[in-house]
Amino acid sequence: MSSLAAMLKAPGALVECDDDPEAVYEFLCEKGWSDGLPVIPPTPERVERMLAYCDRDLEKPVAKIPPRFGAATPIRVAANAVIAGCKPEYFPLVLLALEAMAEDQYNLYGTQATTHPCTPMLIFNGPVAKEVGINAGQNVMGNYYRANAAIGRAVRLALVNIGAAIPGTGDMATAGTPAKFTFCVAENEDNSPWEPLHVELGFPRDASTVTVVAAEGPHNVNDHESLTAEGILTMVAGTIAITGSNNAYYAGQPVVAFGPEHAATVAAGGMSKADVKRWLFDHATLPLSRFSKETIERRFRRKLAEQYANAPLDTPVHMWAKPEDLVVIVTGGAGKHTQYVPTFGNTRAVTRALKRADGGLVKSIQELKTKSKA
Amino acid sequence: MAQLTKRGLIAAVVCSDTFMKLGTAQAKVFGVPDLPLLKIQHPLGGLSMDKVRERADAALPQLLKFVKEKQS
Repeated sequence: MSSLAAMLKAPGALVECDDDPEAVYEFLCEKGWSDGLPVIPPTPERVERMLAYCDRDLEKPVAKIPPRFGAATPIRVAANAVIAGCKPEYFPLVLLALEAMAEDQYNLYGTQATTHPCTPMLIFNGPVAKEVGINAGQNVMGNYYRANAAIGRAVRLALVNIGAAIPGTGDMATAGTPAKFTFCVAENEDNSPWEPLHVELGFPRDASTVTVVAAEGPHNVNDHESLTAEGILTMVAGTIAITGSNNAYYAGQPVVAFGPEHAATVAAGGMSKADVKRWLFDHATLPLSRFSKETIERRFRRKLAEQYANAPLDTPVHMWAKPEDLVVIVTGGAGKHTQYVPTFGNTRAVTRALKRADGGLVKSIQELKTKSKA
Repeated sequence: MAQLTKRGLIAAVVCSDTFMKLGTAQAKVFGVPDLPLLKIQHPLGGLSMDKVRERADAALPQLLKFVKEKQS
């Protein structure tokens, strides 16, 4: 008997409803187990197919998801991956993202329950992204691609169904963001002039990683005119420096996702990623005077007194704490656009490599297909 | 607060009415379902000092009542 079959014998583990697709959709919506979009019924057979790509203990949680601190066991996560429309080979990446979000510095509790509109942005690097078809090109943050849609959606469903991030009781977002349906990209490593994110962070180039960022939706930077690195970066800095961002108050790690054409122009000016981070740190600032009088007095003068108690009104307010904290990637297709992604602020980006249960780096998702070997 | 309660100290949480469901659910999650929530009017953020005092005036009697109950 498989672990799943044994678990399904527990009282309440299996629920039954009419197998008509509309009836299943209605049932899950009524139970509050959906995101409002149509679903794939999580039958035991489908969950079992998902688990064929899991070499972990099926009942050992990869995370405890707040605010309920529900146990994210592979079996439970697999049910959500089925509902989301994942192919079985996506499943290890869903688990990996949840593992990364469970690390303390991500602040999953805060990001789940806050009034701020944040959601996990998933950035995939390495060969597995291409293997399962995560889009890194045209319309990378938009619709159409199943892997981007379903992997991000599965993570979000786990946050709701296992963690109880239910609007009004567990998720207190004032308005939320459309990115809460899914926000999943791959870096366009083939069209980047710089080392990819995971290599920058010290992982081998053939490792596959996810970086999770507690992000707002992306803000576009349109620049069809600039011909120099300084020109492009001036436009990016102007988009970053805004008064209403959490990043003006907390030491978070926002993301600049350069379109490949903008990245090429910047790199042609001789700028490395480290140079870009330093330049943007120095230039993406606002003078203190640009904030409201109340914000200056109550937020900057009192809550951030160490820095601003007696600061002159022309003091530059930086949008993150240290130059190197900015996350820089290259993604998307043709066109003169870059994306700026603000964050929750009180959070750190976390990167994790895909590994087998024995700790070895995974080169291909097929390495994790356990059931076919048995 | 949950930890303080478990250690036998008298503890309570100030909670605005909009956040009462979250507060109640979290008290259960942290194993202290009877943790008192001192209900005040939402919001608490972005208030003038007068309005903050109004919230404190609403919370204080609830706190005193709870402390007396615990001591009796």
